[in-house]
Amino acid sequence: MAGHNMAAPGFSQSYDPFAELSRHDDDADALDFEDTYDGLGDQLDETDDAFNDDTFGGEAISSSNAPVGRDFDFFGSTAKVANAMEEEYVRFNRQPPAPRAAATAASTSTNYGLPGYNQASYPPRPARTGYEKYKDPEPTADLQVDASIWGTAPKKAATPAAANPSQYAPPPAGRKMMSLEEVEAAMHAAKPAVMPQPQVQAQHPPHFASPQPQVQFQSQPPPQFGRQDSVDYRYQQPEGQSQVFQSHDVRHTAQAQGGPHGHPITILQRPSSKPVPAGPSMSSSLPQQQQHLQQPSMSGPTQILQNPSRMSGDAARMGYPAQPTHPMHQMHRSQNSFSRQPQAVSHPAQLPAMSDQDKATYLEAEARRAKRNHKIYILSKDNGLMTPHDKSFITRIQLQQLVSATGDPNEYGTDAALAEDFYYQVHSSLAAQRPNPSQPLNNFAQTYLFQTGNRHGGMRRHNRGPENHMQRMEQQVQRAVEAAKNKPKNKQLVIEGSLGKISFSNAKTPKPLLNIKRTESGTEVNRPASTHHRTPAATGVTDRKVTLRAIESVYMILMKMEDHERTMPPLANGDTDQESVERQSEWQLVAEKLNNQLWDALKVHEPIGANAVHPFIAFISYPKGKKVIPRVFRQLSHEQRTTILTLIVVHLDQLDVVQGAQVQSGEPINLSAAMRESIEAFSMAVMPCLFNLLNDTELHIVTAVLGIIIQKLSIDTIARTRIGISMLTMILSRAEIIKEAGLANEQAWQQWVVQFNDFFNHLEPTLPNIFPGSVTSGEDVYVWQFLAAIGIGASPDEQQRLVLAVKDRVMDTVALSKTLPADMAKQRLDNVNLFMRSIGLDVELLQ
Amino acid sequence: MLFFSFFKTLIDNQVTVELKNDIQIRGTLKSVDQYLNIKLDNIEVVDDIKYPHLSSVKNVFIRGSVVRYVHLPHNAVDVTLLEDATRREAANQAAKAK
Repeated sequence: MAGHNMAAPGFSQSYDPFAELSRHDDDADALDFEDTYDGLGDQLDETDDAFNDDTFGGEAISSSNAPVGRDFDFFGSTAKVANAMEEEYVRFNRQPPAPRAAATAASTSTNYGLPGYNQASYPPRPARTGYEKYKDPEPTADLQVDASIWGTAPKKAATPAAANPSQYAPPPAGRKMMSLEEVEAAMHAAKPAVMPQPQVQAQHPPHFASPQPQVQFQSQPPPQFGRQDSVDYRYQQPEGQSQVFQSHDVRHTAQAQGGPHGHPITILQRPSSKPVPAGPSMSSSLPQQQQHLQQPSMSGPTQILQNPSRMSGDAARMGYPAQPTHPMHQMHRSQNSFSRQPQAVSHPAQLPAMSDQDKATYLEAEARRAKRNHKIYILSKDNGLMTPHDKSFITRIQLQQLVSATGDPNEYGTDAALAEDFYYQVHSSLAAQRPNPSQPLNNFAQTYLFQTGNRHGGMRRHNRGPENHMQRMEQQVQRAVEAAKNKPKNKQLVIEGSLGKISFSNAKTPKPLLNIKRTESGTEVNRPASTHHRTPAATGVTDRKVTLRAIESVYMILMKMEDHERTMPPLANGDTDQESVERQSEWQLVAEKLNNQLWDALKVHEPIGANAVHPFIAFISYPKGKKVIPRVFRQLSHEQRTTILTLIVVHLDQLDVVQGAQVQSGEPINLSAAMRESIEAFSMAVMPCLFNLLNDTELHIVTAVLGIIIQKLSIDTIARTRIGISMLTMILSRAEIIKEAGLANEQAWQQWVVQFNDFFNHLEPTLPNIFPGSVTSGEDVYVWQFLAAIGIGASPDEQQRLVLAVKDRVMDTVALSKTLPADMAKQRLDNVNLFMRSIGLDVELLQ
Repeated sequence: MLFFSFFKTLIDNQVTVELKNDIQIRGTLKSVDQYLNIKLDNIEVVDDIKYPHLSSVKNVFIRGSVVRYVHLPHNAVDVTLLEDATRREAANQAAKAK
């Protein structure tokens, strides 16, 4: 364009008068003498006349009533009055809105290349270039006809081909003004141009490789705007249509070359022929054209980006198939004149029947669509940039990030998840089980719901159904995550020259604010310090620490064992699969090792009496020591459990819950809250274990246990505690059950009876004092149970002594019950009845 | 991750969140994240005479860093399990520190 601009002044100066004049008349004449537009010519003439009046002072002519004669010779008169002509020119420029003037000044090529400018500049003028036809509502089918019409107008195109400035000048003067000779000359010029047409039709892209400068230049230069547009919209089309556009392209190039061939070309050429006149501009514009021709596809997209008036191109696209080139021009022009002349805006081919508003919206929609297509096109050049492998690689990275940030749902219940999310995993697995009590509990439930029995927690994972795709994908993800985890993590980055370290952090491992290196010797250093200050007074504290530490180590070992239990290989039931047997034995080996660790940690085998308090007794004197017993018992063998039972019984009077929980009959029970809690914990955690164990023992063991109590312990001390009483009750009732079941042989039973009698003798003095608190305290249920256990196993003689011993309490309770509300009274009496019935009596008899 | 793991189990339970500015907000725990940011639904402010400006608020998102305490529903906490989880966490931390 730069070339054109530079050349423009030259064009306009030499050419101006005629250019302005020709603008109106030129087209009309061209159409007229080609007989292409029947009937339209008249219309055009009329308008032309009207316009001419405007332009050339028709008023004056009419007012003066002077003979037409010489006045009518515009050329002659204007030539005479050069000054007046100048004025006219200025006025002419002023008449149309400013943009038009600018366009005129900008470049001549634009001016005549785009007749639409005229339209814009002369509002009153209905139409030129024969487009008015499109203004009338017509079906699109008409478009085809129009195309053919254009096709039949090669002569028109021919004129430009032969044209030079002088030749061209006449047409502007209008039909009336044009001399016969001029017309003839124009027609002659047109004919040669027509001839090549068929050839050109057949032409193909290769031709433009060797373009004839002149032809090229003729066809090409002016419509550069339009040209760009055409390229423009071609490239905005979706890829799928590229073929079609390619062909369009071809046609375009062909047009550019041979000018006079295709129908669309004619139109294009006509405007283009005009710029030819100026030699200098020719040379400058030529290279440009060539560039256009040779690499239309290359230049297209970039031009699109630069082209501000894309809309025109888009709109033009609609009309493209029927009239490839022309509509573009039209639209482009109309775009420019849009605001000035709404009518001209309407797209001749596509929007015949639409209202202005519809057209506007339609165009807008088109523009939007085109924009989107363009974007797709822009993006589409990146199609296939990534291989499927690349994509899957990215996907894996993303999944990995996701998993490490949120935790893998597939890891649910696996070790990795347990390590990071233990509480939640187990808690929800427990919660999931509660609603369905019939469902077998997994081993978490066994641990945390204090259940024992079924061991199949580990089995579940091995019984998965056939793998499906989802699972395989899950596994892949898991593997990827696993790999990422195993990768050595560089948590800090030290950039050379920087003053600090950059530490990475993520959701799971936040950036540590303090980074204290724990040296191996660090803990060792602290310990001597504490031992150093050890004094007799501090011994208790140290023992406490040691004991607590022992408890913790038991817990840790227990957790290891429980984890190990979950990984128990499926039992090789019957089949002699070597591998599974091997795994089983391997697992067994580890289990044994852990069991030994646990046994050592419990310190049950510490020599009795070596310390003031046996380590194990100290162990279970802490609440968490008590609470761990059920879990410990699950992991121990029967022998080990029996050993613990024995140990507890031997040290029964040393237990905190016995030693510190002595109660006196008749005195208020003043146990501290901590002690009560402790007792509660013991009876909830330890007693059931012992009870279950005892229920599995033979009579001789029960007898032995009772013997230990009699020999080593103060019955009085034990009997005045709830735990002691419960323990005795447990032992006695077990013996009774064995007898009832007939499991005891005569000899063993005799031993038991002896033992029992001995026990009763020891107990008898204490009996009146075993009731806790006063009669009103109501905490004596366990005593009545104990008495009942004694009563059942006692001989009639012993029963009598028993009744005598506790008679007062019985009577008091019965008396008290009469003062109590019915339900409480009944409860009390029922308690008493536990005992009474065991010896064949009933409280009813006392009332 | 222990706290995160723990609070996850309290979702849909009623908790009282005490903020560092002394406001106590009771509501249903809807979600919690690794920063212990908390979302509460159907909230009520414990001392709503003192903090009337929150009386029309129905749900809140609380940034974890402004929380002083979370009052837990006793029956929603499995103490034994929590103890073990704590032991594991401590063991993990010790292992990581080495």
